[in-house]
Amino acid sequence: MADLDPVIHAQARLRITAALATLESGESISFPRLQEILDMTAGNLSTHLSKLEAASYVLVTKTHQGKTPVTYLELTRSGRRAFEDYTESLRALLGEVS
Amino acid sequence: MNSPDHGDRASGSTTNANIPEGDEPLDPAAMLDLLQVQQRSVTTQMGSFVGVITATWGVAWLVGFLLLWLIDGARPGFALPLPIAAWGFGILIAIAIVISIVLGVRNSRGVKSSPASVFTGAVYGSTWSVSMIALYVFGAGLLVNGMPPSVASIYFPSAFVLMTGVLFMVSGAIWHAIPALVSGIWLVVVAVVAPFFQYPNHYLFLALAGGGAFIALAIGSEIYARRVRRSARSGARDHG
Repeated sequence: MADLDPVIHAQARLRITAALATLESGESISFPRLQEILDMTAGNLSTHLSKLEAASYVLVTKTHQGKTPVTYLELTRSGRRAFEDYTESLRALLGEVS
Repeated sequence: MNSPDHGDRASGSTTNANIPEGDEPLDPAAMLDLLQVQQRSVTTQMGSFVGVITATWGVAWLVGFLLLWLIDGARPGFALPLPIAAWGFGILIAIAIVISIVLGVRNSRGVKSSPASVFTGAVYGSTWSVSMIALYVFGAGLLVNGMPPSVASIYFPSAFVLMTGVLFMVSGAIWHAIPALVSGIWLVVVAVVAPFFQYPNHYLFLALAGGGAFIALAIGSEIYARRVRRSARSGARDHG
């Protein structure tokens, strides 16, 4: 288990990272849309996002649409790599050759 | 991260109010399962509008081509006047186009594309209009050169269905969408087989094999999407 990245190795953060990894690199998604897709509470989602942001796995961009502030989220390059490594470690642990 | 709507609703967890919900890991097999289910859930949610669009086109083609078939197809019992059939067909296609655009725009809400995918989308989108207009002008050119109306009634529907099929196949290649690729191939086959049924029965064939296939595809993809959504939600909670 020591090989599994503790930042990703939690149910909620794995779900967030996996969801963000489906976007192409350079694509980002707004906080409310991600919340809707994951079916998580706003509080829970932002708690886990801040852990991912602290590890530099997620890039948070705050912009405005008219007067409404919008937060966009995307995986950073290292976040994407960490997710791929995590997936590979899981498969290795389970004896699936990658 | 300070989200604008940050509220400490994380305590919805029944296990421990101090630990954010979902902080606990599962065993590796369950985590891999959760990962895959989550990604499938995102893909189907992002693509959920496709089912509605497919159903819309299915109905538009089924009813539209049936109207055209009814001009001569059910004689001597019944004959639909040509203007009614043609206008009905045109209005149905127009409604389907509008619904596709509205749903496409609504589905992309909250997602900011990369410049590369904006370019791909714009080129692919304009390929539809350019190729459809080109086929229309080409048909007009054939008419000017003496193509009889009986041949035109074969050329136009088959040409448009053929191009739709090809564009579906292209979209399958761009977005790695197997259903789009398969239905594209099907439409190409339908388009080139239709003329062999001859006027007016080629319209009946297009209605059933084209429109009917779209409706079947829409129902199939809706059932699949519901199953994935349910398993993603229960998967995330059951393991908790």
